[in-house]
Amino acid sequence: MIIRNQDKINSPDTIKQQFEALGYICSDAIATSVYLACHLQKPILVEGPPGVGKTELAKKTSDLLSAPLIRMQCYEGLDEAKALYEWKYGKQLLYTQLLKDQLGDVMRGAKGLDESVSRLHQFGDIFYSDEFLEPRPLLEALRTEDGAVLLIDEIDKADQEFEAFLLELLSDYQISIPELGTVKAQSKPLVFLTSNNTRELSDALKRRCLHLYIPFPSKAIEQKIITAQVPELNDKLKHQLVEFISELRDMSLKKVPAVSETIDWARALLLLNVDNLDHEWVKTTLNLLLKFQDDIEAVEPEIHNLLKVATKGS
Amino acid sequence: MQKVLGDFIHALRQAGLPISSAETLDGLRAAQLVGIDNAPLLKQSLGMTLAKCLENRLIFDQIFDQYFNSHSQFNTGDRATSETDANQAATARLSEPFSEAVNSLESPLAQQLINGDMAGMQVMIASAAGASGAQEVTFMTQVPMVSYRVMQALGDGALQQELAAMAEREESSAILSILQQRRARLQQQVRDYLEQQYLVLNQNEPNKRREGNLQKISLTSIDQRNYKLMGELVRQAAKRLASMHSRRRRITRRGLLDVRRTITANAAYDGFLFHTKWKSTRIERPKVMVLCDVSGSVSKVARFLLLFLYSLQDVLPNVRSFVFSSYMAEVTKLFEEQDMEQGLAEVLHNWGNKPTNYGKALSDFETMALADIDNRTTVIMLGDARNNNEDGNIALWEEIYRRSQRVLWLNPEGQVNWDSGDSIMSKYAAYCSHVETCNSLRDLNRILGSVLKHEA
Repeated sequence: MIIRNQDKINSPDTIKQQFEALGYICSDAIATSVYLACHLQKPILVEGPPGVGKTELAKKTSDLLSAPLIRMQCYEGLDEAKALYEWKYGKQLLYTQLLKDQLGDVMRGAKGLDESVSRLHQFGDIFYSDEFLEPRPLLEALRTEDGAVLLIDEIDKADQEFEAFLLELLSDYQISIPELGTVKAQSKPLVFLTSNNTRELSDALKRRCLHLYIPFPSKAIEQKIITAQVPELNDKLKHQLVEFISELRDMSLKKVPAVSETIDWARALLLLNVDNLDHEWVKTTLNLLLKFQDDIEAVEPEIHNLLKVATKGS
Repeated sequence: MQKVLGDFIHALRQAGLPISSAETLDGLRAAQLVGIDNAPLLKQSLGMTLAKCLENRLIFDQIFDQYFNSHSQFNTGDRATSETDANQAATARLSEPFSEAVNSLESPLAQQLINGDMAGMQVMIASAAGASGAQEVTFMTQVPMVSYRVMQALGDGALQQELAAMAEREESSAILSILQQRRARLQQQVRDYLEQQYLVLNQNEPNKRREGNLQKISLTSIDQRNYKLMGELVRQAAKRLASMHSRRRRITRRGLLDVRRTITANAAYDGFLFHTKWKSTRIERPKVMVLCDVSGSVSKVARFLLLFLYSLQDVLPNVRSFVFSSYMAEVTKLFEEQDMEQGLAEVLHNWGNKPTNYGKALSDFETMALADIDNRTTVIMLGDARNNNEDGNIALWEEIYRRSQRVLWLNPEGQVNWDSGDSIMSKYAAYCSHVETCNSLRDLNRILGSVLKHEA
């Protein structure tokens, strides 16, 4: 995967341009992290406020490398049967029933228990073999022949035990299945872990990863993002919009609007045919930006002032 | 490059970043990959491999700037040389009549000084400093001694002998004065270099020592200026405790049968179900109620108890906080809404420094929260049990003890002072699962650590 795409990832700048061509506008830090992850073959731990494009980064990287994206959403109580592998127990049961009848044929003519057992041994352990293995996301990522992009989403939601279980995968790209032995990656996958920081991750996990913090984008980058996502929007409105959002982020709110909300808002304004941000429109569409009633109540009386700042330049 | 990066990582560790040797290797590989010419790229790459949270990243950025600015003089040897060009010309002019004398200079250091190769000199200083233990300078006062050693390593002994000889001969006084002047400048350079190294490597060392001491020091004797640092430590401690213990799952032996897993586990027995697997895993989250005495008698420690209370509520999901002196109030909401400084100030203003009445406070607690105490609740009392000879309402305390899973009393006074004066500790102690003296941050850590561990 890495070698095939050598020309697309030979420097952070190239990666940045490639991402831009795919409609993902990123900062230097993000491009550098992808560059390092590809070349050092290390997982990236992506942190940052919700809605700044953590998951999107993994998706776009998989587009960039034209590798399949394998996504695993973490939640409390996630265990290895759901993340790694499970035995196809239905198939196993069916086969035992079927083979019971065959057993007589195999054993025919065997003298004494010893000989029967040694004949049985010749068959090997068929029930715990690849045939009966049901791969889950992690195993799938290791077995993808040409390398995959593995996204382990919201790792902080999973339990600490699960985190420990990931360590072998993250450092050596292999996992142990007791019945089969160690499964090594055919081609090392590129791993993204995202976290919203609802709890502190263990040092062991952090040590194995590159650390990338994605903050809210700067005004210039946010404008570029909107241009890429909602190209129909006129420049003046785009400018006002970004200024307004950036003012909002400076207020002390329960949840400040992230990039995804900005894009939603821009789409909504386009749909409503708004070409100049005014008090009435902002008031009616505020619930797209703010997700708490408390926040909306706090912002409403301030709209006038915020607008004054936002429309100053235009 | 390895040496420079190694020193840089040493500086980072001094500043408190936990960098393992595996991460050091990662850093080196990253630096090799991106090269060291592009400073912003190098900074980002190293930052990603060495600093693993936002807080550490900020420290990293600061130290990176400091460190590589002090080192950049090696990389920009050109500028240093051009500055000395004028000097060199002067030397050339001067030394022409004395060229013989210049050539006859014996000690290598003297020749270098005359040649005026500043960039080369800097590199030599750095390597000599490394060899004579500049890294181990832990006090500013060690700088002169080490700078003497560095000068010796540079060959100052031979130079001085030669200078003495020249002074006796009296023939080459012009060269002599130039050499002496340059030697003085070299000495100054060495000292500057060492001091800079000391600052980069050690500026956080005193802090570290102070933190270590603060952990042990008793809460009553901490002075005002350490409040801030202490607050940070308390917060760290609470966070550590919470992340270690806040989520603990227990697999129960009852509940719904997990059919899939049961059949899987029993496939080997021809589908006969020997081993049962159950679906429900109960998630245990400690429910904690903390009562904090903020009255006059504990005024000195109240701030820290509150600080801990605040931090605990910040990191544990199910904490209810109460403060009291003569009557009790719940401050859970207040702590949620206000930031730390404001919240503490408001609590101390409203409820602090009043006479204590445990009986009255407990009956307030009865109306507010007694009904919510169940057999999974831990009640923690932070207070000195000095009741101003009022009725302690022991029966109510017994009721709390009976209802809850565990009752903990942390007394900031030493055990010798219990039951002295108006303290009625032993009456309450009868109805507590643990009674402990809690007089320093280390105590607090130890006690709560063990409490939360036994929770599961």
